[in-house]
Amino acid sequence: MSTFRYYEPESVAEVVSALKDNVNSSVIGGGSDLLSEIKNGTTKPNVLLGLSRIDDLKRITATDTEVRIGSMVTINAVSSDPVIKRDYGALSEASAGLATPQIRNVGTLGGNLNQRPRCWYYRNPLIDCLKKGGTKCYALGGHTKYLCVTEGERCYIVHPSDTAVALSLFSAEIEIASAGDIRRIPIGSFFVSPSENILRETILGPDEFVTAVYLPSHAPESRHMSKYIKARERQSGDFALVSVGISLKVSSGTIQACNICFGGIAPTPYRSIQMEKYLVNRSVENLDVSYAAGLAISDPKPFPDNEYKVTLATNLVKKALSDLICDL
Amino acid sequence: MPGALEMSESLIGRSVNRHHFPEKLTGDAKYSADLIMPGMLHAAILRSPHPHANILSIDTSKAEKLAGVKAVITPFNIPSGRLAVDLFILDTRVRFVGDEVAAVAAVDPDIARKAIDLLDVRYEILPFILDPDEALSKDAIKIHENGNLAIPEPINLERGDIEKGLIEADEIFEDSYYIPAHSAAALEPRAALAYWDNGHLTIWKSTRGVHVERISLSNALKIPTENIRIVGPFLGGGFGNKDETRLGAISAVLAQKADRPVRLEYSREEEFVAGRTRHASYIDLKIGFKLDGTITAIHGVATLNSGAYQASTPQMSRRTGQCMLYLYSCPNVKYESYPAYTNCPTAGSYRALGAPQGHFALETLMDRVAEYLGIDPVEFRKKNHVKIEGQPGRRTSPDDQIIDSQPVEGGVPFSSNELGQCLVKGAEAFDWVNRRKSNGSNDESKKYGSGVAIMIYRGGPGYPTGAEVRVNKSGEITVICGLMDVGEGMTTVLSQMCAEVLGVEYADVSTLFGDTESTPDAPITSGSTATFSAGTAVIRASTIIKDSLLALAGTALESEISDLVLENGYISVKTDPDRRMTVKEVASLMTNDYISSISTVDPGSTEYIVNSFGAHFVNVEVDTYTGNVNILKYVAAHDSGVIINPQLSLNQVEGGISQMLGLALSEELVTDRNTGVTLNGSYLEHKCPTILDYPEIQVIFADSVDPVGPMGAKALGEVPSVGVGAAVANAVYDAIGIRFNSLPISPDKIIRALYT
Repeated sequence: MSTFRYYEPESVAEVVSALKDNVNSSVIGGGSDLLSEIKNGTTKPNVLLGLSRIDDLKRITATDTEVRIGSMVTINAVSSDPVIKRDYGALSEASAGLATPQIRNVGTLGGNLNQRPRCWYYRNPLIDCLKKGGTKCYALGGHTKYLCVTEGERCYIVHPSDTAVALSLFSAEIEIASAGDIRRIPIGSFFVSPSENILRETILGPDEFVTAVYLPSHAPESRHMSKYIKARERQSGDFALVSVGISLKVSSGTIQACNICFGGIAPTPYRSIQMEKYLVNRSVENLDVSYAAGLAISDPKPFPDNEYKVTLATNLVKKALSDLICDL
Repeated sequence: MPGALEMSESLIGRSVNRHHFPEKLTGDAKYSADLIMPGMLHAAILRSPHPHANILSIDTSKAEKLAGVKAVITPFNIPSGRLAVDLFILDTRVRFVGDEVAAVAAVDPDIARKAIDLLDVRYEILPFILDPDEALSKDAIKIHENGNLAIPEPINLERGDIEKGLIEADEIFEDSYYIPAHSAAALEPRAALAYWDNGHLTIWKSTRGVHVERISLSNALKIPTENIRIVGPFLGGGFGNKDETRLGAISAVLAQKADRPVRLEYSREEEFVAGRTRHASYIDLKIGFKLDGTITAIHGVATLNSGAYQASTPQMSRRTGQCMLYLYSCPNVKYESYPAYTNCPTAGSYRALGAPQGHFALETLMDRVAEYLGIDPVEFRKKNHVKIEGQPGRRTSPDDQIIDSQPVEGGVPFSSNELGQCLVKGAEAFDWVNRRKSNGSNDESKKYGSGVAIMIYRGGPGYPTGAEVRVNKSGEITVICGLMDVGEGMTTVLSQMCAEVLGVEYADVSTLFGDTESTPDAPITSGSTATFSAGTAVIRASTIIKDSLLALAGTALESEISDLVLENGYISVKTDPDRRMTVKEVASLMTNDYISSISTVDPGSTEYIVNSFGAHFVNVEVDTYTGNVNILKYVAAHDSGVIINPQLSLNQVEGGISQMLGLALSEELVTDRNTGVTLNGSYLEHKCPTILDYPEIQVIFADSVDPVGPMGAKALGEVPSVGVGAAVANAVYDAIGIRFNSLPISPDKIIRALYT
């Protein structure tokens, strides 16, 4: 394991300037992903900046218009927060089903959004893949069971975050701190695909870090119902083979609005626009759930070892949609 | 199973607490990696990034110059010694990604690892082979000098006439099966601490067998065994899997070179890659049968992936086929095995060796036969499983020879065989006849099914084993044995046996194990033999000690020895029970400091086969949407003779099943086909189930007293693990109508099978 300096700045500004002053530095949340990356040599930061002394990052606060979740709020706190449970059910479910209790206790929302891909080739210290600046993708012709089935280009990772999929349902915004600036961007613009930048999964620059996530509040009458379902191999704790989040707003038996997002399918959280379009303005009564589910992925290009994911995506959305309609 | 835990008068059948329970619970127990010596150095190993290469040279100069580095060893600067037939302390050829190239000892682990990065190795890259079939083809590159067959000759065993059996059959079913490599993933990674003093070597090491380790090191280091002491501290998970590596030798040579104690501890990643895996196995199986349900022929052919070195491959290749030769009554059986060296991580000894692989193939195909014949799978097995009289045919071994635990010959009866009872009691506890009624769900995505599998395994007789029983003047009793307690609780069980013979309390007996300096010669704790073999030796030695105590008491009580009885801690005169002395009082009369008896036994019987048996019943829920298999009910019925300690036995059965549920449903160690790199050597990615994933398991022990076994006991350590994959696969078939011929039965396979 490479060595690093560790310290804990007391303000966001201090973090930003430390990131700027120290080439090859990184913020650290719970460290459950970053430390394992350092251990296997995938990344070798010289300086780690602990965020635990900045109280503002550890709070969930709600106003009339939005809910703010600090980036250092633990996954466990996200899953058990009553407001999140009530208004953003899918986020609560995604957090509750994430990893293991131990990891949920240390893992943070910011860390979860910024974790690196699980691709076995990327993670292996002996393999110098494109994502690590190497010259080829070793997954091609190799082991592809866990890789993406759409939008892969030169690199076939899936984004491993459960919370990212759930947040994508609620027009969430990511708050980013950089030198002299705090800005908010829609979650849909936060993640980048390999075709945009093969070395990174987010738009964050080297001197930037995530300080919070914002969720718009809704009046009770316009609240969405939502659900998150995750298929995994090991029930006690595992990344998703495929996961799906759906949020639905139904009035008078008609779907007014609908957001659908998949994990485990693409290098970034995958919004199923075609399926959303199909569902909006349809009556929930006699809804052809199977047909709708068939629209999950518009143009799947699976490998032989991961064709099952296309079926799995269809099955999960069928189940999630039926459950939601059933709960009406 | 509260019934099994009730106290009985006798110590046999009583769930006394396992030895060192408090120390283990509180963390006080010292494992190999906990040991510290003054001046101790830390070692690190440079491992090969190539699956197959010759090492042309290693420039150590930069590493040696790094401050804090005290020794660097390479195949070029140490004497070449053999640890096993194909394994040198270090070798100029590397045979898998992760193979040992060189090692460093330094004042702290970080410096040792830094030094490793400074070693400059020139490799000549060689073509590599990952597939055993390819390795055995004529023009394949030789991984070892004698070629790629990992044993001297292929195994080819036959009873009766297989051709005749196939001709006599009304139908022949055949199929091919694959079981992948997986890791035992013990919580404790391998660790050793080596120390030299005046030409004498001491190693504390995670091991299953201190005496065997000593012989191997003596051969490799070319020093006499009496100059080597091996000590086995507590072992953090054995599973048959802690030996066969270069760990001890590398730590010893580093310590010699540095002239300081050296600790070598594997990382979790090293444990997965450079530990020892289960053999990936391809099995082609053929069963011939008559329409009346009689089996006329069983023919199995195994192609096994030994990986880079031989390790336990000879024993494993043989054990894979034992169920094919012996689980079902059949006059004509044949088993062939072709284990091959490849450039995969080394496969070695892992709980039950090849038996889980063999049983998966046999018990899955037998299920198909039963279904084809329209016979209930339990009834089919009741009719056809091997009975107490053994297999048809004539005994071919000499009459005075101890019968092998894995026989081929017919005409030899079992010492005990309660497989029938296991099937009856297990089916009853499972409610097999009503199994289709037991699951109801409105969720159309869920399907339910039940499966059964039976199993046969070595019953305990192993290699010659010695044990000593000692009583000192204060009346303290010690059982001394060269085997290791690998976590299964052997020391507890042997203490129970000794205390039972000597008529004292369990707490009166202490134990001394796993130290070559103070224990009699013994094999490794393997093959489910410890209770049986060491137990036989302990009982024999205890009986001699008992006679000595009676003789002492006879003089003091002025009585004939034959008139004395030893029970409840007293020696008393039968006809006059008030004339009595405690064992302690009797011991105080001895003239020397202690009396002792060493007994070495060659366990087994010249008349009987000693085997253990079991029958497992599983009820599963298959989620046809997600492909997940959920175990709803698991009943395991076992014949392991008299159960000495019910709680420990329960742990063995639950542990064996839980461990193999990983192989059945989720585990696989994956070697990349293009690079030879192990891709998922971690708890996260190897997908070992956790305690939260395990189902509740109901365990039943058959009423069985083995006439050969010590106090009626037979082996239990491995047999629970052998039928798990088949029982689950049969249940999954019952649920969704699809036969899986490869493990694990993971969600991707289920979905692929259901939807294409």
